[in-house]
Formats: sequence, C-alpha cells, structure tokens
Amino acid sequence: MKFYRLETCKLKACFHFLMLHCCLLLAFAFVVGCGSDDEADEQDDRAQGEAFEAGTMLNDFSNTVVLATYTALDNKAGELLAAVKALEASTTQANLEKAQQAWKETRKPWEQSEAFLFGPVDTQGLDPALDSWPVDHVNLQSVLDSNDALTVDFVSGLEDTQKGFHTIEFLLFREGNQRKASDITTRELAYLVSTTENLKASTSQLRLAWAPEGDNFSSAVAQAGAGSAVYPSQSAAVQEMVNGMITIADEVANGKISDPYNESDTTLVESQFSFNSISDFQDNLRGIQNVYMGKFMNDGQGLNEFVNSKDSELDSRFQAEVQAAIDTIGAIPDPFRDSITANRGAVQAAIDAVSKVQRTLEQDILPLVQASEFN
Amino acid sequence: MITQMKHFGEACRFPKLAIQIYSLLYLTFLVSVLLCACDSESPVAVESMPIFSTSALSGGETTVFDASSHAFSTPAPNLSAAALEKHLEGDVEFEAVFVTAPAVVNPGLGPIYNNVSCINCHSRDGRGRPPGSEDELVSLLFRLSLPKTADSIDRQPPIPVPGFGRQLNNRAIVGTPPEGTVKIDYTEQTLVTADGTRVHLRSPAYSITETYQPLPEAVEVSPRVAPAIFGLGLLEAIPEKAILAYADEADVDRDGISGKPNFVWDVVAQRYTLGRFGWKANQPTLLQQAASAYHDDMGVTTSLFLIENSAGQPQLTENKATPEVSDEILEAVTFYVQTLAVPARRNVDTPQVKQGEQLFAQAQCASCHVPTLRTGVLSGVPSVSNQTIHPYTDLLLHDMGPGLADNRPDFHASGSEWRTPPLWGIGLIRTVNGHTNFLHDGRARNLMEAILWHGGEAEASRQAVEQMSKAERDALIAFLESL
Repeated sequence: MKFYRLETCKLKACFHFLMLHCCLLLAFAFVVGCGSDDEADEQDDRAQGEAFEAGTMLNDFSNTVVLATYTALDNKAGELLAAVKALEASTTQANLEKAQQAWKETRKPWEQSEAFLFGPVDTQGLDPALDSWPVDHVNLQSVLDSNDALTVDFVSGLEDTQKGFHTIEFLLFREGNQRKASDITTRELAYLVSTTENLKASTSQLRLAWAPEGDNFSSAVAQAGAGSAVYPSQSAAVQEMVNGMITIADEVANGKISDPYNESDTTLVESQFSFNSISDFQDNLRGIQNVYMGKFMNDGQGLNEFVNSKDSELDSRFQAEVQAAIDTIGAIPDPFRDSITANRGAVQAAIDAVSKVQRTLEQDILPLVQASEFN
Repeated sequence: MITQMKHFGEACRFPKLAIQIYSLLYLTFLVSVLLCACDSESPVAVESMPIFSTSALSGGETTVFDASSHAFSTPAPNLSAAALEKHLEGDVEFEAVFVTAPAVVNPGLGPIYNNVSCINCHSRDGRGRPPGSEDELVSLLFRLSLPKTADSIDRQPPIPVPGFGRQLNNRAIVGTPPEGTVKIDYTEQTLVTADGTRVHLRSPAYSITETYQPLPEAVEVSPRVAPAIFGLGLLEAIPEKAILAYADEADVDRDGISGKPNFVWDVVAQRYTLGRFGWKANQPTLLQQAASAYHDDMGVTTSLFLIENSAGQPQLTENKATPEVSDEILEAVTFYVQTLAVPARRNVDTPQVKQGEQLFAQAQCASCHVPTLRTGVLSGVPSVSNQTIHPYTDLLLHDMGPGLADNRPDFHASGSEWRTPPLWGIGLIRTVNGHTNFLHDGRARNLMEAILWHGGEAEASRQAVEQMSKAERDALIAFLESL
C-alpha cells in the first residue's frame, strides 16, 4: 500500500515534468492549427477496440447483483424479525440460538452489499441506520432503565447508535455465544423486537429504493449515459462499480482487520459480540466477487468479461486473488478478537491477501476502465 | 458503516484531453505573463487572469478524474506519502461516530447536539439538504441570536440567546431535553421568464417548536445546510490580498456589485481576521471551522472551545477540564478537509457547454463567481500551495436581496449578505448526494431555481437569465453541470 502510494506520486511528478516540456510543442501545434495524423489513427484504433457493451453489464450489476442482494437482505431480516418475536413469546435457549443464527444469516447479504455502498443506502441514510458503530451503551441502558413504552415508533426515533445490526447483536449475544436466555429481561425483549422491526423497515426501504416497483435506482445505473440523470455517462457508472470494490477492499485490509490488529485492541473489532468478524470479512470479499462476476443467485454479465476482453491474464489473476483472500481470511482461527494477539501471522497474511486485491483493482482494473470510452 | 475510499487510481490516467488542456493552460500562462509584463502597476497577478476557465483541472494539481459518488471524497493526488497518511487518519476521525460518555470508543457526545459525526451532515464530503415533510433534521441546522440593541457594537458576533446559545440543538442524549425542533412550511410561487416558461419557486417559513423553555419572540433564525467540504484547503491558501483585490464595498466602479470582506474573530490569533468559510464567511480558518463544528454541532470540546455548548443550561451535567477531542485529532481532521481533491470538469469542449460558459460571463455571474484564482502558500500543506484553481467564488459577501435574506447579521455580514459559494463540483451533487437542492437552506430544487432566487447585487444577472431563450438557459445549465 505504502509502496504503491509512493509509486503513484513519482508517476505524477514525471507526468508534470513531461507535460511541461510537451506543452510548448503542443501549444505550437494548436497555434498553427494542424492536427497530427498519428493522433487520428490512435483514435480510430481505440474506437474499434470498444466492442464491449457496458449497458448489459450495468443492467446485470443493478438487477442480478445489487437488487438481488438487497432482496435477500430484506428476506433474511424478515426471518430475523420472526425469530426475535418467537424469542419474546417463548424465551428459551433454543429460541435464542435460532435468533442468533438468524442474525448471522441476515448479516451475510448486508456484508456482501458493502461492496456497493453508494446510491440510496447512502443518500437515504440507511447505512448508519442499519450498521452504526459503536453502540451507545449509556443511552441504551438509560432507555432500558426508563419507563418509556418501547414501541416501534419510540425506538425508531432513537439515535442510530442504539439501533440496527450491532444493537441487536449486543442484545442477542452480549459476549460471544455465552448469552443465557434466562438473563434476557422483558424490557430487553421488547426493545429487541422493536429495533428489529425498525431494521426490517430499513431493509425494505433499501430494496424498494432499487426495485422497479419502488424508486427504481437500478434503472439510474443500468441506463447510465443519456438515460440517467445520476450517471450522465456509462464511464461514471462503471467507475462507481470499481470504486465500490476498492472501497471495501481498502476498508477490510486497512480498517476492519488492521485497526484492531495494529492496536491489539479488541474494542475495535467489528461484530465483536457475536464473534462473527471472520464471516463478516469473508462476505465483504464475496461482495467483490459478486460484483466482479456479475453473479449473486443468478449469473449475469460481469466486469470479468470486460477485463477478459482486454487482458485475460489479468482476469484470471484477479479471480484467483479474490478467492485467495476469502480463503486466507477463513484460515484465521475463530474468534478474530483473540487472533489479533494470538495468531498474528494468520491475521497479517489476511491483510496481505486483501491488500493484493485492492492493489489489482487500483493499479490494473481501474486504469483499464478509465482508459475505455464507454457511451 | 465503512470509511470513504482512499485510492489513487485517478493519478494514473493521463488522457489525451488532459494533454490538450495542459497545452491550453500553457498558452494561457504565456498570455498572462505577457499581460503582466505590460501592466507593471498591477499589484495582484490574479487580476490579469482570464475570465474563462480553459481547464478541466478545477483544483490544479489536486484535481481527480472521478465522476462517481466518490468524486468529493478522494485525497488530493499530489500528496506525499506522509501527507497521505495524515489525510487518512483525518478521514477516520471525520467518520467517527460519537456516543454518550462514559464509553470506550468516541465518548463526549452532547449532551445537546445536531448530529453524531462529521460525515452524517457532510455526507460523502458533499452537500446536505433540507428534510422532506416526514424526515427529521439531518444536515440542516439553525443559528439563533438576539437582535442587536441600540448600545451593542456593530460588526460583532451575534448575541447568544439565553438558554439556547447561538444554535438550536435539536437532539440530546437520553434523559436530557433537546432545545427544540423546527417545522418547515413551503409556499410555492411562480415566476414567468421572458419566453413564457413558468418556473416554480418555493419559499420556506420556519417555526421553532417543542422548545424546552420559552424562546424570546424577537429571536433571529438562520438556516444553514451543510456545504460540501472538498477543495477547502485551496480556498484557505488564497492570499488575503488576492481576495481583497476583488472587494469593492462602496461600489466605486459602479457595476452594481460591491463585494465585501467579512472580518471575524480568530480564537487562535486572538484578533479579527478575514472570514472565508461558512455561508456568511464567519470562520477564518479550517481549524476553527472544524473545532466550531465539533463544539456547536456535536457538543464535543476541543482546546479551541473548552466550554461545552450547553454551558449555563440545565442540560449540562459536567464540563470536563480536558478536551474531548485531542489537538492531534483536530489537526488530522483539519488536514483531511484541507487535502480533499477537487473533481475535474466533464464535457468541457462541447458546443453547448462553451455557449453556457459565455452566457455565464455575459450575465455577469462571473463577477462574483470568479472562475480563476491562484493560491499562495498554505503553511504545512504544500499540495494546495501555488495552484491555479477554478472555484467560481470570490469568498466575499454580497447582498442577495430580501428573498434570500436571513435577517441575522454575523460580524460584518448584514442580514441580507451571503458569501459567494464556490460552484466547482456542483454538477456532481446529484451523483454524490442524490439530490439537487441548492442555496443556504436548500430551498432551490434545481440549478435554475437557485439562479432565479438571486436578487440584490445579482438582480441584473437574474434578469439577464430571465431574458434568455430556452436554448440559452439550457446551455447555461449544461455549463454549470460540467463543473
């Protein structure tokens, strides 16, 4: 990462140096008004090389990957809601474990969706509503200790830091899988049901924001170019896809894994109550895989076909790198919070593997996309 | 939540267009040098710069080629490795979510506040908007003050309202009363342009409700939408004399446009200095801007503002002697804001955009939205120093007429004066923030509405736009969308 940053700066410096010298010549060319034949030929070559149809890929990305992932998320959130209601009705250890499992199942599509954290999930404030961290323990305890009726409306009106995935996680798991059903208070159960109702409302809103029967943001991406006010060019939409993958690769390598690892600080670990961190990280990488391959439940046209048409070696190398990152994360012994001190080699290997994915995206795939003239 | 992107692939792309732009820049530079040589009396080189921006490189060497939702949240590509590290540290802090103390991670929120993190208002380092009818206030806040009295000194900071201070904090930690909330009602009106086109404008009315104690009748209320925060280091690096060169407070040149600098209290320098940031240019530096936002908007103290925003109010339980955010974090956040890249323009060479650019100049928009400025040296931030930039602002105050007036003076700014906001990146707000709400309170629902709200010193400019044909207005908008 650091090496790459330096490299970039050097490139940039070289560029400016060269440009300064080229400027005089080019400026002269402008003044006399003669174009270079070589330049024209290069333009023709480029035009002929652009056979790839970005519209199909953007359509498949929007529908086959993004909307399908959000639909899965919404369905799983519905199952989680049913499970916490069952737990409230009958607070047995078996029902607690079912609710815990339902939380983990809901977490999967959400973490995969972090490979495309743009659009309504951001502009409608749904990312913080669903996934705020840290949990505001003081506020949460104040509410539990109060006499306020814990209705859905009341809980929905509270801060994002006492709602969403991690508040539900805290109530269901506390420390790892040690939570006893008998320890859960009546008010905690009421809070759990209301905050899960709120989570389900957010996942529905997110699905509808992309769905044709709702706000149909899918079409804003799929119709990029003349047909979209959000993405006036296909290049911008394809860049959005790649940026989304880079963002999550960077976040996993340099934030989610590195921060607690570098500080040896378990309070910085994501999904620390459920010990679900390793799954979270793997699903982030699976999200990259989904976007790149254009595949979630069904297989569509992905970025892989574009990259393959330009550089087949790069395509196969990147696919291998993503799979290697998923496997290397999976090789970290559970729970992650212990491994940041006990298995530092395994954690470092995961950081390196994810960094490699990020580097290939930044250095090889993004430039390929930027050099292509889509519509 | 995950942090914003930190990659630099943009720096690797040097399209042919950029080469052409560079050669144009070079020509411009040559011409400027010649002009300067002819006019040795000119005290500030900026004055001899062309009105037209011939470059897509809005932020000079800090420009990035990114038209996606990450357009505002990318580090300047010309940062050194060490500077980039500092930028990324600041990025993490900009996104840090504060919670009620005591807590292991990010304690110190409130007890009264407007939001829990920087990024929650400045979403994707971009622009906020007013809430819809069902939504709560997220990225719009309300400044409060008491009217100046006969014996109060002019050009001073606004007078705080007892029990409320200078800002309405509409949120509070559990068990503590927020100061109140705001109800917004819009009244629609219709403006008909010369060619018969009807444009709908909505005018907001604000009522502060559910206050925890009575609010004085005469209170002054000023709505402020969170502005985009990229490119601000470049604006901080513009030499003061270059800004003052555009000032014409008494309108000596009789062009109907004054241009007035604000002079505001600098808490570090302990004196009045030129105001540059905020809707009324009431902040002198980005350091103070950031510290004020921690303090006023989140109830988080720093060494610049150690007294809690709730001091003297019943909401305050404890005012810690040490800052809730360290100087190191405050400096990192400030550096982050100083070093965010500016997105490059798109479609610079299309005939429609070029026509729109000419119309923009003909209608005198460029008199205040100055296209080209040159930065000086900003200490400790070489990446923004000595850059030719295209921000489309003069950083000065202008009377915008009664329609936009908030009637709340702020240091030298009168109740109808606003600082010219920069226009760079304005065409990407839709992509980054998912809306096209503009002006200080987000009342304009698109760029044309924003233009047609201009009054006061911009009266003639607005009338010129009203006289344009539809094709001309479309070209003007196409130009703005290319920024």
